[in-house]
Amino acid sequence: MPAVQDTIDRVRKIDVDQYKYGFQTEIAMDKAPKGLSEDIIRFISAKKDEPSWMLEWRLEAYRRWVTLDEPKWARVHYPKIDFQDLYYYAAPKSTPGPTSLSDVDPELLRVYEKLGIPLKEQEILAGVQKTDASELEEPSDNVYKSGRVAVDAVFDSVSVVTTFKKELAQAGVIFCSISEAIREHPELVKKYLGSVVPTSDNFYATLNSAVFTDGSFVFVPKGVRCPMELSTYFRMNEKNTGQFERTLIIAEEGAYVSYLEGCTAPQRDENQLHAAVVELIALDDAEIKYSTVQNWYPGDAEGKGGIYNFVTKRGDCRGHRSKISWTQVETGSAITWKYPSCILRGDDSSGEFYSIAVSNGYQQVDSGTKMIHLGKNTSSRIISKGIAAGLSQNTYRGQVSAHRKATNARNFTNCDSLLIGDQCGAHTVPYMEAKNATAKFEHEATTSKISEDQKFYVMQRGIPEEEAIALIVNGFVKDVIQQLPMEFAVEAQKLIGISLEGSVG
Amino acid sequence: MNIHTTPQRTPAETALIDAFSDRLSLLPGDGTVMLKRDDAIEAIKSGLPTRRIESWHYTDLRRLLASVPDFDPAAAAKAIAPIVEGSAVLPVLNGVSSTKLPTVDGVAVQRLSEKLTDGSAAPGLDPYGTDDAIGALNTAFVADGYFVDISDGTELDKPIELQNLQAGGQTHVRLGVRVGAGAKAVIVERQAGEGAALVSSVSQLLLGEGADVTWLIVQEQPDTATHLAQFKAHLGKNAKLTLFVMNAGGKLVRQEIVVKTTGEGADFTLRGINLLAGDTHTDVTMVLDHAVPHTASTEVIRNVVTGKARGIFQGRINVHQYAQKTNAKMACNTLLLSDDGEFSTKPELEIFADDVVCGHGATVTEIDHSHLFYLMARGIDEKTARGLLVKAFVAEVIEELDDEAIVEALEARLDGWFVAHG
Repeated sequence: MPAVQDTIDRVRKIDVDQYKYGFQTEIAMDKAPKGLSEDIIRFISAKKDEPSWMLEWRLEAYRRWVTLDEPKWARVHYPKIDFQDLYYYAAPKSTPGPTSLSDVDPELLRVYEKLGIPLKEQEILAGVQKTDASELEEPSDNVYKSGRVAVDAVFDSVSVVTTFKKELAQAGVIFCSISEAIREHPELVKKYLGSVVPTSDNFYATLNSAVFTDGSFVFVPKGVRCPMELSTYFRMNEKNTGQFERTLIIAEEGAYVSYLEGCTAPQRDENQLHAAVVELIALDDAEIKYSTVQNWYPGDAEGKGGIYNFVTKRGDCRGHRSKISWTQVETGSAITWKYPSCILRGDDSSGEFYSIAVSNGYQQVDSGTKMIHLGKNTSSRIISKGIAAGLSQNTYRGQVSAHRKATNARNFTNCDSLLIGDQCGAHTVPYMEAKNATAKFEHEATTSKISEDQKFYVMQRGIPEEEAIALIVNGFVKDVIQQLPMEFAVEAQKLIGISLEGSVG
Repeated sequence: MNIHTTPQRTPAETALIDAFSDRLSLLPGDGTVMLKRDDAIEAIKSGLPTRRIESWHYTDLRRLLASVPDFDPAAAAKAIAPIVEGSAVLPVLNGVSSTKLPTVDGVAVQRLSEKLTDGSAAPGLDPYGTDDAIGALNTAFVADGYFVDISDGTELDKPIELQNLQAGGQTHVRLGVRVGAGAKAVIVERQAGEGAALVSSVSQLLLGEGADVTWLIVQEQPDTATHLAQFKAHLGKNAKLTLFVMNAGGKLVRQEIVVKTTGEGADFTLRGINLLAGDTHTDVTMVLDHAVPHTASTEVIRNVVTGKARGIFQGRINVHQYAQKTNAKMACNTLLLSDDGEFSTKPELEIFADDVVCGHGATVTEIDHSHLFYLMARGIDEKTARGLLVKAFVAEVIEELDDEAIVEALEARLDGWFVAHG
């Protein structure tokens, strides 16, 4: 297994609490004043050149938000966040909507190169092919070419560049920043924005609705299979800045899209806030696959700094026979509060959730999913693997419910936790609610440490302890890794190895 | 969502608070006990739990407890025959214990009213946690019950049956049992009656080193009664407790089970059957603490839901940081037999120790069609076939009890329920 060997090599090279992506970049920034008020929202909306309906939508969310309290039910503990002590808008100065890569600040491009996200299109093919983007053969319709990934790069509050736009447009796929979509495709945004996660949904979603600054917008029209993987790369750079991105993905009848999301942030002593909202809409026979590798700065070995990640992600299987699949690898963030969910509204629709959550140091993870069965013959599958090490707390919290009319709803849930060390905690909090006699729900959960027998077996073959553990852990998470697109799978395995560094012994 | 609101007091909350001032002069207790009653009523004044309180998520007591009956001094409940013939019966009739008590060697029985009056029952009146509404309700109003002490080394050959019987109004009863080192006993807790009463019942069990107890809770309230009960136990070193809970009645039922292993080698077994019919709302909530190393637990809950019944099982297993080598397993299986019925389950694991083996499983399904086909292909009509399968599903749990007299008695009650609701 070369990937495992690779993980081990990388783990060796790195000391504890050395976050690879912790550098920060000096880039001239355009910022709104600190704090949150209706004026700030007007400022953001004006900066983005938004139509008035969008501003009204934001203001309505803001007015609701001021009446709300922060949710307290999750098993995470942190000092109270002062929402007036944050910048809600920060954008690199030189980007009045870049149209091509040559317009982008070279400093910015270097940031993404350093992160291993080469934005120059010829380099996107994982450094294998060195063909210029324009020389690539025209894509024939509905042919998926593996290995090519279109990237939307979001730097603090704005999207700096989106690649492969032209080629995607030929297939009819719209892939752009949400700000651009609000300007260019208002009818689509108006129709779908907030239809899955309404502005009144929860404290952080409401906050996001008021102040979201950017994010990605994907629209795959009827019958189109998106010709390449789409990806967004989020980078938080500025100090004291909250990142509030909004992603909206729509797959029309029979469409298919696979979307990847990655994120990193510099190493800082202060905590930074990230409150995103992701909405997925799948119409009849459509399929959306959403993969996340979350690697925000987790804080240092003493638990200082790190990102507070409060994210609302929800998919709506609105059409019959539609399918939404969430795959997540969570290794970063000081606090993760995230429950990617599926509303199985259409008959015969299905939802999937595959998750690996690794916590080490002082990280706190409270993550899981919701599968809401509303339509007939709907099915869902949940595979969650939690790995807790160091002094971390790792919670799976999930809900499966079958509505009265959800005849033949079917769910299978499996959540396993692995504990490494006796100072960490692993918790499982599943909710199962069946209101239909034909529903069939199965849930199983186990918690254990790495079995001495397994370790002995591996070590007895001359493999040192740390490598043995890496091997067993990679085996433990295999079911989920298999669901990731290939490029991400390798990355995810490496990340897990690095996250667990220093936990052995 | 989380919008600020200042709740108004519900009629039930008001009735409870008023009843407390009316009853105060009648309630037994020394200074310490009365102070605890004051604290308890303060807790009720701050509001009955709603679904916002996590442990009451599925039983919004504030909404479900629509009204509270007045105390009824004229209510006269009658003692009933014990489920196992020859048991020593300790009845509490409408909240009042009996003066004529059976004598059993090695067993000392005291009326709880006496222990409240002299203050010796005070330590047990403290609530556990911040969401102990049943504890608060009971502490505020409890007037009687029993305290049973089984001395070290006593092995009882017949069960002790504690009966809490009501005929309407309100009854608030507490049953305390201490089982000495190496003692062995079977204790039956009967909860039944004929009226539309509000019942609160708290049972407390303390198991000494190496004690071995089988405790059966048989709840058969009429479908008009509100039954709020709590069972709390501490397991000493190498103590063994088998708790069997059967819920087969009541309109609004909440049975809490709070168990803590405090000695190494303690072993806890829970077997539960919930037979839910009509429009009952029955909630069984268990909190199990593995507080020391080398303890084990297994829980199996089987639920049958018919009619418009709503069932809930919440089970939380906490494994404390020093409780290494814990072995804990929990299963909750439900047969949902009607489209109007519903069942919600929340099996939780909270684990702070690494060298443990913990697992839980939960299923909700209807009757397996292939099983039904198998029986019907042999000429058994559908109704009988369904009845057989449902009975087999729950009887499996009863048959694990190794006392034949008890197994027979419980199976008879099971058959009775099927005749009435099958």
